[in-house]
Amino acid sequence: MSEATNEAVRDAIRDALRTIIDPEIGQNIVDLGLIYEVAVDDCGIAQVTMTTTTKGCPASEYLKEAVRNCVWYVPGVEYAEVRLTYEPAWTPEMMSA
Amino acid sequence: MPGATLSPWTMSYFSAACLFLVIGQGMMAAGYGYPAADVHAPVTLAVVHILAIGWLGLLMVGALLQFVPVLVAAPLRGRRLALPALGFLILGLLLLVGGFAALAGVEGMSPGLLPFGGLLLVTGFGLVTIMIAATLFAARPLPLPARFIAVGLGALVATILVGAIFTLVLSGAVTHDAAIALVLDAVPLHAALGLAGWLSFTAIGVSYRLLPMFMLAPDEPRATSRAVWWTGAAALALVIACVTAIALGGAAVKWALALAALFAVFAVVLYSTDLVLLFRARRRKSVELNIRASYAAFAALFFAAVLFALPTTRSAAGEGAAAIVYLFVFGWLTGLGLAQLYKIVPFLTWLEYYGPVLGRAAVPRVQDLVEEKRAGVWLCLYYGAVAAATLSLFTDSPAVFRIALVAQFGATVGLIVELVRARALSMVAPPMRYPAGAPSSISFFRSLDHRSNQ
Repeated sequence: MSEATNEAVRDAIRDALRTIIDPEIGQNIVDLGLIYEVAVDDCGIAQVTMTTTTKGCPASEYLKEAVRNCVWYVPGVEYAEVRLTYEPAWTPEMMSA
Repeated sequence: MPGATLSPWTMSYFSAACLFLVIGQGMMAAGYGYPAADVHAPVTLAVVHILAIGWLGLLMVGALLQFVPVLVAAPLRGRRLALPALGFLILGLLLLVGGFAALAGVEGMSPGLLPFGGLLLVTGFGLVTIMIAATLFAARPLPLPARFIAVGLGALVATILVGAIFTLVLSGAVTHDAAIALVLDAVPLHAALGLAGWLSFTAIGVSYRLLPMFMLAPDEPRATSRAVWWTGAAALALVIACVTAIALGGAAVKWALALAALFAVFAVVLYSTDLVLLFRARRRKSVELNIRASYAAFAALFFAAVLFALPTTRSAAGEGAAAIVYLFVFGWLTGLGLAQLYKIVPFLTWLEYYGPVLGRAAVPRVQDLVEEKRAGVWLCLYYGAVAAATLSLFTDSPAVFRIALVAQFGATVGLIVELVRARALSMVAPPMRYPAGAPSSISFFRSLDHRSNQ
């Protein structure tokens, strides 16, 4: 895939992830700033680095699984990897909306 | 993922707690206990323990089983003990109440039930302490909210041990002078350890974590928050020292108790300052009903502390400062409990039902599981009734107190119905209520975690 194509897939992934809401706050996880990084390589392997608002939150695994499922179905993605991190820890200042 | 757990038995504790709240308030509304009876009358003791152990105790334990792993980002240790502990606690409470009923002259009951109830309660709370303490111990160094819980657990152990000695004396099984001295002199200290130490100090610690989460506020510990911990812990240490002194044949030192009271009031003032700062620093400008209702509970705590600190109002509060204790138990502890249940029950329900299909189907928000307007009316009625009941105790107006109690009981039942409706998903709009792939049913008594409980 060309760089332009990768960029388009990354944008498509971010748009798709906006359909996932944080259950407690009720806003989508992209605008909340929970998606730290989205990368797509030339083979269509997408790598998403994300966090949750609270470390140890019981919703964490559900959100991670939801992101993986969501990314997997974005056109141009052949494989999806999701990494949950708390470095840096999320703060309300990371919200964009 | 460390700590990512959904406590399977928290909902069971909550269900039992709500049942005991209805029973306790129902008995009060029907005229059982103070002020119709003496503060130390067996019937009053029965009602008090139904509310303190059955409602507040089970509510707190259920909440801790869910939130301690969140606070320390580590899994709960000994989680298999949660169900046996619940069984011991419920059975122990029933035996305890049966023993009090015997002391009140109810036929078919025996005072001998009291020590058996005490033994089961010691066992149940002992199992809870093992679970929570082991989880905290493994997660050292502890964040500040968890340190509040550690102190709260210490107060719980002291409360239960003193209470167990009471059961031995009241049943006639023990006639040792020191044990009798405890019954004569340490009842207010037993109540202080339970209500202020175990329940309040723990609730304050949990609130330091939950409020920033719910309001999107910064949660770095402040100097005032640390001071709350130090002054509160010092107050509890002084109370425990006085109980020990009584048990060793001495007497509670008055200046030590006065200093403990001063520390406690100072801690409440500092805590109130923190609450105001948190509210002002929140990113979530429009807060939900559970937060608004929680702040009403915080106001009740503040007023209870102020009324306690002023000698004139403390002496006007009736036998055993009953009016202030009432405001503390129903305005602060019960108000906060109901307010947080209104958030936690829908949240756990959402996780169980919609968590497994998140990202694969359109799902509602947690807020869509509740109807805030209706619940808001019940909460306003509840707090209004608590205020009226407190005032009626100050003014010695039993008729007004009874009317306020009936209103409070009605509001409580209304709120519990709202919780049941949230659990039953009855407020969720039909297109999103039952998405494909979601569980086919949901239990009112046990949570099913499709991922993290495996």
